[in-house]
Amino acid sequence: MSAAAKKKNPGFFRAVGKDIAEIGTTFAHGDWRTRLSYIILGFGQLLRGQIAKGIAYLATEVLFIWYMLQVGNRYLAKFSTLGTVETTKVHRKTVYGDNSFLILLYSLLTICIIVFFIFLWRLNVRENLKEELILKSGKQLPSNKKVLASLLDGNFDKTLLTLPMIGIFLFTVLPIIFMVCIAFTNYDKTHQSPTHLFTWVGFDNFRELFATGGSGLGSTFGTVLFWTILWALAATFIDYFLGLGVAMLINKKGVRFKKLWRTILVITIAVPQIVSLLYISKLFASDGIINQTLLKWGWISKAISFWTDPVLAKVMIILINIWVGIPYMMLIATGLLMNIPPDLYESASLDGANHRQMFRYITLPYIMFVTGPFLLTQFTGNLNNFNVIFLLTQGGPLSTKLKGNAGYTDLLITWLYKMTVNDTNYRMAAVIGIMVFIVTAVISLVVYNMLPSVKDEEAFQ
Amino acid sequence: MKKKVVSVLLTAAMMAGCTTAAFAGETEASTEAAESFAIPSSADFEDGYDESFDYGSGEIKIWVAENVVDFTKQVAEEYIASHSALSGYTVTVEPVGEGDAATNMITDVEAGADIYGFAQDQLARLVAAGALEEVAPENVDAIKAANDEGSVAAATVGDTLYAYPETSDNGYFLYYDKSVVTDPTSLDKILEDCEAAGKSFYMEINSGWYQPAFFFGAGCTLKYDTDTDGNFTTCTADYANENGLAAMKALIKLHQSKAFQNGSSASDATNYAAIVDGTWDAATVQEAFGDNYACAKLPTFTTDDGKAVQLGGFSGYKLMGEKPQEDDAKLAACDLLINYLTSEPVQLARYNAVQWGPSNKNAQADDAVKSNVALAALNEQMAFDIPQGQYPGDYWTLATGLGDSIIGGDYDSASDDDLMAALTDFQTTCQGYAAGVAETEAE
Amino acid sequence: MAQNTEKKYASMKGKRRASLTVTYIVLVLISIIWLLPFIGLILQSFRSFDPAVEPGQNGGMVSYIVPKTFSFDNYKFILSDQTNFPRWYLNTVIIAIFVSIGQTLNILGVSYALSKMRFKGRTLLMRFWLILGMFPGFLTMICLYFLLKQFGLTQAGAVPGLILVSIASSGMGYYVCKGYFDTIPKALDEAMMIDGASRARIFFTMTIPMSKPIIIYTALVAFMAPWCDYVFASYVAFGHDKSYNVAVGLQRWLVNADYQGYFTRFCAGGVLVAIPVTLLFMFLQKYYVEGVTGGAVKG
Repeated sequence: MSAAAKKKNPGFFRAVGKDIAEIGTTFAHGDWRTRLSYIILGFGQLLRGQIAKGIAYLATEVLFIWYMLQVGNRYLAKFSTLGTVETTKVHRKTVYGDNSFLILLYSLLTICIIVFFIFLWRLNVRENLKEELILKSGKQLPSNKKVLASLLDGNFDKTLLTLPMIGIFLFTVLPIIFMVCIAFTNYDKTHQSPTHLFTWVGFDNFRELFATGGSGLGSTFGTVLFWTILWALAATFIDYFLGLGVAMLINKKGVRFKKLWRTILVITIAVPQIVSLLYISKLFASDGIINQTLLKWGWISKAISFWTDPVLAKVMIILINIWVGIPYMMLIATGLLMNIPPDLYESASLDGANHRQMFRYITLPYIMFVTGPFLLTQFTGNLNNFNVIFLLTQGGPLSTKLKGNAGYTDLLITWLYKMTVNDTNYRMAAVIGIMVFIVTAVISLVVYNMLPSVKDEEAFQ
Repeated sequence: MKKKVVSVLLTAAMMAGCTTAAFAGETEASTEAAESFAIPSSADFEDGYDESFDYGSGEIKIWVAENVVDFTKQVAEEYIASHSALSGYTVTVEPVGEGDAATNMITDVEAGADIYGFAQDQLARLVAAGALEEVAPENVDAIKAANDEGSVAAATVGDTLYAYPETSDNGYFLYYDKSVVTDPTSLDKILEDCEAAGKSFYMEINSGWYQPAFFFGAGCTLKYDTDTDGNFTTCTADYANENGLAAMKALIKLHQSKAFQNGSSASDATNYAAIVDGTWDAATVQEAFGDNYACAKLPTFTTDDGKAVQLGGFSGYKLMGEKPQEDDAKLAACDLLINYLTSEPVQLARYNAVQWGPSNKNAQADDAVKSNVALAALNEQMAFDIPQGQYPGDYWTLATGLGDSIIGGDYDSASDDDLMAALTDFQTTCQGYAAGVAETEAE
Repeated sequence: MAQNTEKKYASMKGKRRASLTVTYIVLVLISIIWLLPFIGLILQSFRSFDPAVEPGQNGGMVSYIVPKTFSFDNYKFILSDQTNFPRWYLNTVIIAIFVSIGQTLNILGVSYALSKMRFKGRTLLMRFWLILGMFPGFLTMICLYFLLKQFGLTQAGAVPGLILVSIASSGMGYYVCKGYFDTIPKALDEAMMIDGASRARIFFTMTIPMSKPIIIYTALVAFMAPWCDYVFASYVAFGHDKSYNVAVGLQRWLVNADYQGYFTRFCAGGVLVAIPVTLLFMFLQKYYVEGVTGGAVKG
């Protein structure tokens, strides 16, 4: 819906101009049915016997008007201030004032509905024009039955996509627009709906994120961003190559019980991470079993603080992520290794290549080639890998050098989570969310265009 | 293939069977009371209850910590049953931890509990977010008179009493194993004994709650003042001086000991001979130490020039609060119930049920309460503590940061100047939290 | 010459045996590392939290792995009426089943439309969804919470609320399924269309029956996710114990200070959660591998 309204091609303005012109000419040349349809949607269709379509248009218009009168206008009127009526007390009773949150939410919803309605209105005009033209040329309009039946045939895509699109709009698009707006408000713990109002503050929050001195989060943001990218790189590539190695080990000629080895590794995927990772975090606690055992054996004289030393904590997270990540990669690599065209090896061995050379010149390039896009998704996934970090360290250890509740192992995403849940600092969380989006989008775009499989599609086909 | 599908179906069926069986078991069993406590009778309890007043009807939602859920439910239901004008209300008690309660209340006041228990450090935050109703004016004087001074101060923001004191036991002291620790008054000796026995000494020095034991003990102060809305206006802090330096060095020395473990939860502690913890873990520690179970006030640490410094700390309180209501009748009903839930007989019954140390002065004077070893040690320690006031959320994070840096070994080889710089930094940051809030308010 | 090759062959054989031995050693080591946490988890779940059974502790952390006495106390406790664990379990099963069915239907429909049909704005729509996917999910938590609250689907209604949210936006995860549909030759569709079959008929009578592996994969992935969802589930259900799922409950037992000595009970709960999910996964592993590999290659 909003996707369709948001065309980005260079001829956008020209297309809009053309569109408006068409609306005008349709009105000028159209018959009275068409003209009346400009106000009463579906009117023309109804009079021309297109009952199903006409009723659908008319019902949408009635619903739209009802919504605007009942809900839309009330909220939209307060959109610019996000509410002005403060919460008051009458004796000891609380009388809540404007709810800025709901005002913003419903205003955005209303704006989206208006955009959608304009789109529908435009469709209605075009449909009238089409029908008129068909009738003028002496042809018959399709019967109502046919129109309905097309929903299962030629227009089956509309049937299939309507519900998913409504779902995505309500539960993804609208919330994202909402949170992007929050980044420009002062919605935080002291401006909490319904007790307090919040309002627009422009770019203040962005300034706070990038400011380096005083209470600015600049240096903290830099530290967290650097670790986020470092982590994503390490987690993606170490797991990738180790997983590949394990897969080759298991697939080696002569190795028996292949299925057993694979099954053992795959348990890690099956057991919910909430169970396995929380347990592991306790294992490595400074008084956990690992430390206690090492102490008992006399290998160490003082417990190792796996989770409180910033460097060690980062290393541990990467190591444990290997434990989590290898099985996935092993499965994928196993599938891929079997797919490598055998004739590649045959011709190579005829040329006298040894195992190492075959791996270096055939296996690796092939795998890298086909898994390029996969690596990219893995990488962006790791940028936002919440579970591993949060279940193991909750972002800790903290430091007096980091601000805003951030710790040394915090990724942008865990930092965002802590801001939302612990501090109810929604405005800064929204700003960080936008940063996550920018980082992900930029990296994806740059890397995607560098991928060999994108640049050179035919290499292995 | 077929076989596999069949086995999958079997597992699914098994699973479903298991859960339904378990579920059925639950509903069957829940008819009998989960746990029975000695519940006081509220029939003779004197409060502002008015038989002829219309208190309305509905549901009163209460959030308390897991281990007092059954107790609270029984007490509340008894009260409602014996006060007929309240018969329109049903009580639901949900286990929501004292930390989570505040966060959840702030996230969505409307969906929050009508009455909820929380630790006092959340008070300013709750008031600032508008999630806490003032104590009913007719109850204020009685509450101030009945509960100990510290607990009343802890429930007050500005000059307004915002919550009902529930316990005065939210402080910490030393639990130790008599067979290992020979001298519980000296930190050095405790560590020595623990090291010799290959046991651990636990103290959570990366917590803003336990960490000040060193700083306050050495004579530092850190206090915030709030206005009536719960905003932090001024901060008094003097960490960056000789005293602070001595405390900092003691913390570093502590972390360097082989016996030291960072932590304060007895049931998560392993192989320990001494732990700085609160009364809520008394049973766990008793189990671990057996006949050698003993409690004492916190020990002293020794400064570089050989002076012994008694550890101080916070004495804290648990409070109960009311949510702002949009309906006078329900507010009146909640007023009655919360007042009763924190009254002398209920505090005493709560002590008998789950050993929560009362804040009510009469209840404190009860023989059963007085004879409790852990509470006695806590009382002894209280003389060196300061009542915990209000601290901004950022302070707790900052203190954790300082503690993490110490445990992480950042300061192991730091010079006095480095340490002083760190302390100055800490102090200015702390002060910044107060100024920062005032600044945004001024906008 | 011949002798030489024989020698070379023998040495190669020796080499191969040596390298196989090394391989086995590495594999056994890997297996130990991978299994150890689970063995620890299972063993700890049989350590009673009752000091009368297992002296000197009460269900918290200890410095040994093998309990001194094996007992079922933890299992008895979590299945009794002293906790809502059975209820959480049931909630999770309900969520998992509904989400699994709903997401699969949703994804199948979207994938078919995007793979087999050509309509205006198709690539634009796919690109738009791709961009949407780059926004972090947690960002919108507070907004989703209040959205659900408008429908009364928080706290007491959290279970249907969670199902709704999980299903609603799942259409965006069409990649793997669409990739699979793309491999079904267009000629098959066209042949049926010549016979007068409608798109819907083709979808239901040909495409779906041909897509068993991908359907099982989609359903399996959707089924497994709710078992680990503690972030959003705790956010939507807060203050209403009966609406929690197992992940929320278990996480609280281990992380929240109110639950002293719940470590062994956490382990027992963890085992109960892990068993059905692991079994299901093991049985359907083949499809999972197929889906994951297919998805990885196509990107």
